[in-house]
Amino acid sequence: MKLYGNPIEGDRIEPILENIESPYLPTPGIIERALRVTEKEKFFTVTPLSPRLLDYRPGQFFMVGLPGYGEAPISVTSAPGSAKTLDLCIRAVGNLTDAVHRLGKGDWLWIRGPFGTSFPLHEMKGKDIIFVAGGIGIVPMRSLIKAVVREHGFGKKTLIYGSKSPEEMLFTEEMEDWRARGCDVQLTIDKPHPEWGGNVGVVTTLIPKLKVREGKTIAVIIGPPVMYKFVILSLKGKLIGPEHIFVSLERRMRCGVGKCGHCQINGCYVCQEGPVFKLSELKDLPEAI
Amino acid sequence: MKNIEQFRYVTGVGFDKLVSRLIEDYTVYGTIKKDGFPAFSKISDAGELELAQTPTHLSAKEFLFPQRETLLKFDIRNNIHEAVIEAKEQVIVGLHPCDIRAIALMDRVFSEGRPDANYLARRNKTVIIGSDCMPDNYCFCKSMGTMTVEEGFDLFLHKIKKGYLVRVGTKKGERLLSKYTVTLKPTAGRLRELDEFNKIREASFTAKLDASPEELPSIYAGAYESPVWDKIGAICTGCGSCNNVCPTCYCFDVKDEVEPNLSEGKRVRVWDGCTLEDFAKVAGGHNFRKTRAERLRHRFNRKFRYLSDRFGELFCVGCGRCSRTCLVKINIAEVTNEIIRESHRRR
Repeated sequence: MKLYGNPIEGDRIEPILENIESPYLPTPGIIERALRVTEKEKFFTVTPLSPRLLDYRPGQFFMVGLPGYGEAPISVTSAPGSAKTLDLCIRAVGNLTDAVHRLGKGDWLWIRGPFGTSFPLHEMKGKDIIFVAGGIGIVPMRSLIKAVVREHGFGKKTLIYGSKSPEEMLFTEEMEDWRARGCDVQLTIDKPHPEWGGNVGVVTTLIPKLKVREGKTIAVIIGPPVMYKFVILSLKGKLIGPEHIFVSLERRMRCGVGKCGHCQINGCYVCQEGPVFKLSELKDLPEAI
Repeated sequence: MKNIEQFRYVTGVGFDKLVSRLIEDYTVYGTIKKDGFPAFSKISDAGELELAQTPTHLSAKEFLFPQRETLLKFDIRNNIHEAVIEAKEQVIVGLHPCDIRAIALMDRVFSEGRPDANYLARRNKTVIIGSDCMPDNYCFCKSMGTMTVEEGFDLFLHKIKKGYLVRVGTKKGERLLSKYTVTLKPTAGRLRELDEFNKIREASFTAKLDASPEELPSIYAGAYESPVWDKIGAICTGCGSCNNVCPTCYCFDVKDEVEPNLSEGKRVRVWDGCTLEDFAKVAGGHNFRKTRAERLRHRFNRKFRYLSDRFGELFCVGCGRCSRTCLVKINIAEVTNEIIRESHRRR
């Protein structure tokens, strides 16, 4: 589709130039609540001034910024709904996120979005769902889990969540509620820990024990880059194929609107065609997993 | 013989008058000689303009997509963010067919999907005046189907011995020509002169690709595991020059700059390059394209495959700038020919 007119008619771009807003202008969100949840992560509840920002779906992300520090892609961790707020859980890993950690109630964040694809809840209806989260992969997963457990019509729900240590585990206080709403929650940590009575080992150690209904089970994987191929291999052992696996992929992003080029996996722009992909869509993208 | 209706004739004096009057009303960029080489520069006198036959080292993309451009102004203490869209009426004179083709591709990048108001505002205020060229040893536009252009310019100049034959591409071009100078009907002799020039030009290419442009996306798709990537990756210095000089490389980084008062500042975008080490590195430290070989493969595939899958057009225009500027002489035409040869062996 060409958005500009026939060049011989002259004045090529004028027709579409009217009313184009800068795609780079953020709108403010006021921090209602800021809670340190682990040593590295802080949880923010934000009221965006523009209601457009509340029109998001699980799996999508926002470009979150602070003037002077820039912007970074941050996954939404709340489930969309009636609330006038959205939740972000941010790990301090650089200049911007360190600065965001210094903010508290009443401070402003500058936000653009929502951007990207989301998990297709309708496609998951009637199926069993296995959520596999590693590390801060639980942050975007929480948005999906919350959206799934509050609705009827899904099959058996299982969360497998692994983190390095018990101290780094996120949202454990909410997991009783998820269990009460029918989601089996299985936790694991990478290395033995004196205060940990649960499973020890990477997330893939929990997958072989799962009871899987072949063809009626959907798996969702979100975690650090190294995790995907091992989890996919384990799921293959359970006869869950690429048509039934969804992943959310992290990439560097600067614009969120398919221009800056940083998020590219081969020819695919993750901010446009992702971050949520069905695994079968990635078969021609060797850089993906 | 070209269609005579396409052309107007402008004398040398008439052309100088056109340029002088454009300078009065517009910011005019054109080619000058800089240290003996052709380069685009701001022109403040018609006499400075020297239409170049061989390509400039840097493309003209900086006039539409500046190396550094303000996207936002902010004021931290007063919680203000304001979009900045800077554009002025400008003319670029002396763009070769490859450059004009490249601008048409950039137009698509920045207008499709979520339109980029900054680029489009500038593009909309830009007059494109093309001019003829003669290939050097790096030019391979003839192999890319970009040796001539029929659209994408407002005016196109063909220098002949005495004066210029001018093609009109848009109504805007037509208006400029009638407003600023006098045109005549070209004589058959002058058109013959152009035909002679075109024959010489077409015979002057030394670099060429051994496959048609239509075949290149599938040839590149088959070359993903080719040894050529490690071979050129081993000598690449990762300097990013190829990205800088390329007229269709549009990737950018975004940075914040704060004034000394620590409240006011700007969010700017600057050119970035996929061959630079940090391009695909995320905050946690993971680099999705760790090696130079992977990064070069990405860049080459963007030109010949990835973006053609997206836009239906190849993003290499055959200008040869990346080869010309490469410190270790990685030559895009030679690399592509090597891949073409490999694809023949696979058959």
